[in-house]
Amino acid sequence: MLLIRCPYCEAERPEVEFAYAGEAHIARPADPSVLSDDEWRDFLFIRTNPRGRHFERWRHMHGCGRFFNAVRDTVTDKFSMTYKAGAPRPSDEEIALASSAADSAASVKDARP
Amino acid sequence: MLLANHPLLGKTITGDTASKLTIRAADDVARFSLRIDPAAIQAAGAAFGMPLPTRIGGMVEAGGRMALQLGPDEWVLTAPVAESDGIADAFAALGETHSLVDIGHREVGILVEGEAAALALRSAIAFDVEAMAVGTGCRTLFDKAQIVLIREDTNRFRIEVWRSFADHVWGILHAVSREIALGL
Amino acid sequence: MSNFRIAGKGRVNRSRQLRFTFDGVDYNGFEGDTLASALLANGVHLVGRSFKYHRPRGILTAGSEEPNALVGSNRGNGRFEPNTRATVLEVFEGLKTESQNRWPSLTRDIGAVNDALYMLFSAGFYYKTFMWPKSFWDKVYEPVIRNAAGLGKAPTAPDPDTYASRFAHCDVLVVGGGAAGLAAALEAGRSGASVILCDEQSELGGSLLSEPSAEINGQLAWDWLEDTNAALAAMPNVTVLPRTTAIGYYHQNFVGLCQRLTDHLRIVPDGAPRERMWKVRAKQVVLAQGAIEKPLVFAGNDRPGVMLAGAARTYLNRYGVKVGNRVVAVTSHDSAWHAAFDLAKAGVEVAAIVDVRGTVPTQLVAAADALRIRTLIGWTVTGTKGRLRVSSVRVNPVGAGGKVGGAETIACDALLMSGGWTPSIHLFSHTQGSLTWNEDGQMFLPGRGKEECRLAGAGKGRFSLKAAFEDGAAAGAAAAADAGSGAGFGAEPASYHVEGELSFTGVTGRELPTDLDPGHAKAFVDFQNDVMAKDIRLAVREGFKSIEHIKRYTTNGMATDQGKTSNINGLAVASDALKRPIPAVGLTTFRPPYTPTSFGTFAGYNKGALFEVTRKTPIDGWAEENGAVFEPVSLWRRAWYFPQVGEDMHAAVARECKAVRSSLGIFDASTLGKIEIVGPDAAEFMNRMYTNAWTKLAPGRCRYGLLLGEDGFIRDDGVIGRLAQDRFHVTTTTGGAARVLGMMEDYIQTEWPDLKVWLTSTTEQWSVIALQGPNARKLIEPFVEGIDLSEGAFPHMAVATGKICGVPTRLFRVSFTGELGFEINVPARYGRAVWEKLFEAGQRFGITPYGTETMHVLRAEKGYIIVGQDTDGTLTPDDAGLSWAVGKTKPDFVGKRSLSRPDMLAANRKQLVGLLTSDPKTVLEEGAQIVLDPNQPVPMDMVGHVTSSYWSAELGRSIAFAVIQGGRSLQGKTVHVPMPDKVHSATIAGMVFVDPENKRLSA
Repeated sequence: MLLIRCPYCEAERPEVEFAYAGEAHIARPADPSVLSDDEWRDFLFIRTNPRGRHFERWRHMHGCGRFFNAVRDTVTDKFSMTYKAGAPRPSDEEIALASSAADSAASVKDARP
Repeated sequence: MLLANHPLLGKTITGDTASKLTIRAADDVARFSLRIDPAAIQAAGAAFGMPLPTRIGGMVEAGGRMALQLGPDEWVLTAPVAESDGIADAFAALGETHSLVDIGHREVGILVEGEAAALALRSAIAFDVEAMAVGTGCRTLFDKAQIVLIREDTNRFRIEVWRSFADHVWGILHAVSREIALGL
Repeated sequence: MSNFRIAGKGRVNRSRQLRFTFDGVDYNGFEGDTLASALLANGVHLVGRSFKYHRPRGILTAGSEEPNALVGSNRGNGRFEPNTRATVLEVFEGLKTESQNRWPSLTRDIGAVNDALYMLFSAGFYYKTFMWPKSFWDKVYEPVIRNAAGLGKAPTAPDPDTYASRFAHCDVLVVGGGAAGLAAALEAGRSGASVILCDEQSELGGSLLSEPSAEINGQLAWDWLEDTNAALAAMPNVTVLPRTTAIGYYHQNFVGLCQRLTDHLRIVPDGAPRERMWKVRAKQVVLAQGAIEKPLVFAGNDRPGVMLAGAARTYLNRYGVKVGNRVVAVTSHDSAWHAAFDLAKAGVEVAAIVDVRGTVPTQLVAAADALRIRTLIGWTVTGTKGRLRVSSVRVNPVGAGGKVGGAETIACDALLMSGGWTPSIHLFSHTQGSLTWNEDGQMFLPGRGKEECRLAGAGKGRFSLKAAFEDGAAAGAAAAADAGSGAGFGAEPASYHVEGELSFTGVTGRELPTDLDPGHAKAFVDFQNDVMAKDIRLAVREGFKSIEHIKRYTTNGMATDQGKTSNINGLAVASDALKRPIPAVGLTTFRPPYTPTSFGTFAGYNKGALFEVTRKTPIDGWAEENGAVFEPVSLWRRAWYFPQVGEDMHAAVARECKAVRSSLGIFDASTLGKIEIVGPDAAEFMNRMYTNAWTKLAPGRCRYGLLLGEDGFIRDDGVIGRLAQDRFHVTTTTGGAARVLGMMEDYIQTEWPDLKVWLTSTTEQWSVIALQGPNARKLIEPFVEGIDLSEGAFPHMAVATGKICGVPTRLFRVSFTGELGFEINVPARYGRAVWEKLFEAGQRFGITPYGTETMHVLRAEKGYIIVGQDTDGTLTPDDAGLSWAVGKTKPDFVGKRSLSRPDMLAANRKQLVGLLTSDPKTVLEEGAQIVLDPNQPVPMDMVGHVTSSYWSAELGRSIAFAVIQGGRSLQGKTVHVPMPDKVHSATIAGMVFVDPENKRLSA
C-alpha cells in the first residue's frame, strides 16, 4: 500500500483513503459545441499512457474529499510530488527538486558482502 | 415524539479489566455538515457560538458543542440534540454564502476508551493511530467502512459512522476486543 | 519404537511429554518439538510420497524451506490443513497428522509405478505426453493425472477459524531473530526507537539454537540468548513477534507479517483468532533472514534418510535427536564436517566424511582423525540404496582431470549432505532490489536497493557469528539513526566477542561427477516438484535458454517452497548445460508470500457476517420480523418480497402488485441515494450536470432528472425536488449514489470551481417510506401537519416540508408504480416508528408491504426504466426513449456534445422497446438474445436482448423490455428468442402496458 501526500491535508496518508481519477491537465472545453468530432473524441478518449512520468489525478476520497494532481512514475510506482487541483503542470526542475527529497536515502545501506 | 432507533442503540462491549477496553454507542447528538469559504470562517464561528478550527484535522470543543474541520471548506458541527433548531436558525441568519445540512440521523457515534483503545483501532485503520494528536480528527477507512475518527484524549476515541455501516464496524470491534481480552 | 533421543541434548522440555499420531500410529514427543523432530526421535524418516513419481521421501531440512516433508495436520474440530511442513509444525498433545499423495498406504503406494515411467513425465511432459487420442483428454488423462499428481487434499469443510489483522507503524522492523537480527533489535531498541522484531520460529535465536557451544561475550550461546530475550522484553519500545513470518515486502517499507497465534495450542480459546496479518509500515527495515543450505545433486539424493547436514545438526543440538545410528556425510562445504563431529561426539557412528573438494582445511581433517572418522577427500557420491530409507551410499574417488574411479559402497542409515549456503534474499528481491553475483561465494548477494532497507548477517553472505552480530548491531544502530527522532539515536554499536566460531568455507554445488550414465541418474534438484538435473539439461537441449523459460518448462522452483533449496542448484545445472556463467543465465524473481500463507490470514476479519459490509435500512428489522425474503442491491440488503404462509415468490409478488393497484402498498425506499445540493449556483449546477432544464422548476416542485456521462450514455436518474431557490433534494439509484456524488464533486472541484454550490450526502439522514395506491392520501392525511395534501395544493411531483406523526418530514408526491403515491422522508432514527404507525393505521385499507420485486413489476407495467438493468452504459437518452427529458435549448450539459456524434445518431442503434410474447404465459429470461430469423445458421445474427421480464398480474400475461437494433421502427414486428428448450416468438410493442393516460397518478 502506497503512502500518498494529500496537498490539502498536508499529510501522507495510506493509499486506501484515495481513489485514482485518470490523467491530469485535461480541461473540459469551455464550449464543447464548437469542437469538431475528432477534437471531442480526443478530449473524451485519447490519453498519453506513458511509460515513466505521468501527470494524474487522485481524490482523497475517504479523507478531505479533494481532487488533486500527482506526478507518478508508472514504472517504479513512485510519486515525485502532488499538488492542488488547478495548479499548473510543474516544471522538470520542480519535479526534480521534489523527488530528490524523497529519493535521497532510498537505497540499500552498506550492501557489501 | 416517536421512538428513536439506530443499529447500536444501548450497546456496549466491555473487555476484561486487564485489557482496559470499553466500547459503547455514544448518546445521540445533533450534527451538521457546514460548507463555507474559509475566508468567512469567523462569521460562521459567530453563528455557531465558538471559533471554528482553521486547519484540516483541527477540532474545538466548548459547552457541549464540537467543531471539526474535515476538508478545506468542510466542517462537521455537533451539539446536544435540543440545540439543533437553534443552530439551524443561527446559520439561516448568516449573511455569508454557505451550505448547512442536517446530518444528525446519518451517523452513529461509537466511543472506544481505555489503554488498549489505539491498539483496538489499529486492527482496521491503516494510518498511524498511535501518532494521532489528541484533539484532532479526520475522515478515514475502518476496514471497508468510511468513518470520522476523533481522538478526544490519549485513551479515548470517538468514531462517527454512517448508520448502515455501524454494524460492520461494531462487529470488527467486537472481535478485536475479544483478542485483546485474551492477550493475543 | 526405537528411541533416537539423546540424553542431555537439546532444548525440548523433557518434563512435558506429548502424544500425537502420524498415519494413525501413536508417538511421543516433547514440548518444543516440531513434528519432524518428534518423528525423527522415533526413528521415522519416511513421511511422504513425491509429487510426480511417488518416490518415498523423508525430511530434508529443519526449517520453513522444507520441500519434502509435507503432511496433513488435523487440529480437531474441523481444523484440517494440507501440506503443512513437518519441520515447522509444533507438536501438541492430541495432534493428528497424516502423510499425503499415497494410496493405499505410505509404504505400499500404487502411484510409485510413475517412477518407472520417467519418460512420460520428463520436463515439459504436459506439453508433449498424453496428446492423443483427443477423446482421452477429459476422460482419462486429466482425471488420472489429477489423481496421481499433487500434494495434499484440500479440506472440504468450511474453515472454522477466525483471523485477525493489525496495522503497525515503527521506526525499525527487524526480520529474523538470529544472531544478526537480535543484535540489530538490541541496538535499535536501546536507542529508543520503536522496534518490531519478528521471527518465523517458536522462539528467537535462529542458528544460535543449534549452536549451544558457541560463546558470546563470555556467555554460552543459550545463556546469552536468555539474557537477550529478557533485555528485549524489558524494553517497552520493542515488540517481539515469534511465530511470525515476514511474507511480503512492498513499496515504501510496507511489510506483511503472518503471525500464528493458536496453531500450537491444544485448546483454542473461544473467539481466539488463528492467525493475524500484520501490515507494518517501518521507517527502516533490517533484513536478517539468514541463509539456507543447498543440497548436493547426485543420484538418489532424495531417499528418506538423506538430509541436509545443518538440519541433522539442528535436530541433534536443538531437539536432542540423532538422525541415525550410522551416518555418512557428503559435502562440498565445511559445515557438514561440523555436523558429523557433533554427531560423533554424541555417540553416533560416523562411517565417513566424503568431501568432493580436492583439499579441505587441515584442522577439519585433524579433528576428524581425532574422532576416528574416515575422510574421503576428493571423492564423489554416485548413488544410494534403500527402498524406504537409505541403507548405503556409493562413493568413488575422483582422479586428476576429473576421472571418476571405482566405486565403494558404505552402509549407513542417514546421509548428511551440504552443497554450501544460499543467503536468503527473498524479501529484498520482493522490492525489486538488484542482485549481484558473488563469484567467490557462488551466491547472489543484495545489490542496489529500492527501499529504506539494510541486510545483515548470513542473509548478506556474512556467515561467521561474529560478523553476523556486528553486522546486525551496525545495521540496527544505523537504521535507528536514519529513522530519526528520539534520544540516543546513532550511538556506537556494541562489539561482540565470539568463541567457538566454526570454519565456513566451501565450493559451489554442481551436479556431482559420476562414473554412471548421467542421463539415467535420478539426481533431484527440485524435490517438491520432482525435477531432476537431467530434466534441466533436456530443457536446454530442446532450445530453452532463458532461466525463466527453463523454470516454467521444467517447473523447477515452482512448487510451494518456491525453490528455496533448488533455485541455485537448478541455475548451476542450467549454467553448465548452456555453457554460460550463472549471472549471464540470471535468476528468476522471488514473489510473495515467502512461505505458504493461509487464505484466512489475507481475509482477516472479512469472513462470515463481516465478509463485506451489509447495509441495512432503519426498517430492515421490521421486514425481517415480518418474514421478508431479502436480496442484495449493491452493499444493501433489501426486502425482495413478503411471502405469506404457503406462498411462493410468484404468488407473493402477484398479491403485492394487486394490493398496490387496488388499495395501498407500503415500500421501504430508504436505500435511494440522496444528495443535498445547496448554494446560490445550485440551479446552474443542476443545469450543467443533468440533461433537463432546472431554472424554471419552482420550489416545491419535482422533476425527473437524467444524468449522462461525458460520452453521452445514461449514468443515472432520479426524482429531484427543489426545496428552495438555493436547495435541491436529489435522489439517485441505490447503486449509483456514491458514484454520482463523486462525479458531481469532480465537476464542482475541478471544472467549475467558480460555482457557489456544495454537495452533502443525505442518503442515510432520511428514511424513505413509499406509500402507493389509490388509498395513499386517505391514510396519511390524519398524520400530516403543515402540508395541504389536496390535489390542487399538492399535485403529482410536488414536495413540501412539514410533520408526519409528529416528526419532521420532506414529503414527496411521486410515484414509481403509476398509482397515487407519496414518498415520506423522515429522519432515519424515526423511520421504523413512522412505518409501524402507518402500517397499523393502514390495516383498514388492507395495507400491504411489498418488496423490490413488486416494485420492479409495477414500474415495468408503466414503462419506467431502471438504470443499470434496462441500460448498460451504451444507451443514449434517445435509445432509451427519454428524449423528452433532454433540454434541447440548453447550450451545454455533461454529455451533450457526444449526442451529436455521427454514431450516436445512427438509425440502427439498439433502442429500448416493449416486448409481448406470442404465448402470454411465457416469461422470457432476462438477458436472452433476440434474432429476426430463427432459421438462420448458427452463429445467428443477434439484434438485441431482453433487459426486463415479468409476469404482470394486472394484465394476466407476461411483459418485457428489450433493446433491439432500430427497435422503435419495428413496432408490431415479430422477433424470436432462441432458448435451449425452444424458440419463443414475441411482438415489439410500446413500453407502457398499464394506464397509458396516467389517470391513476391523480386518482
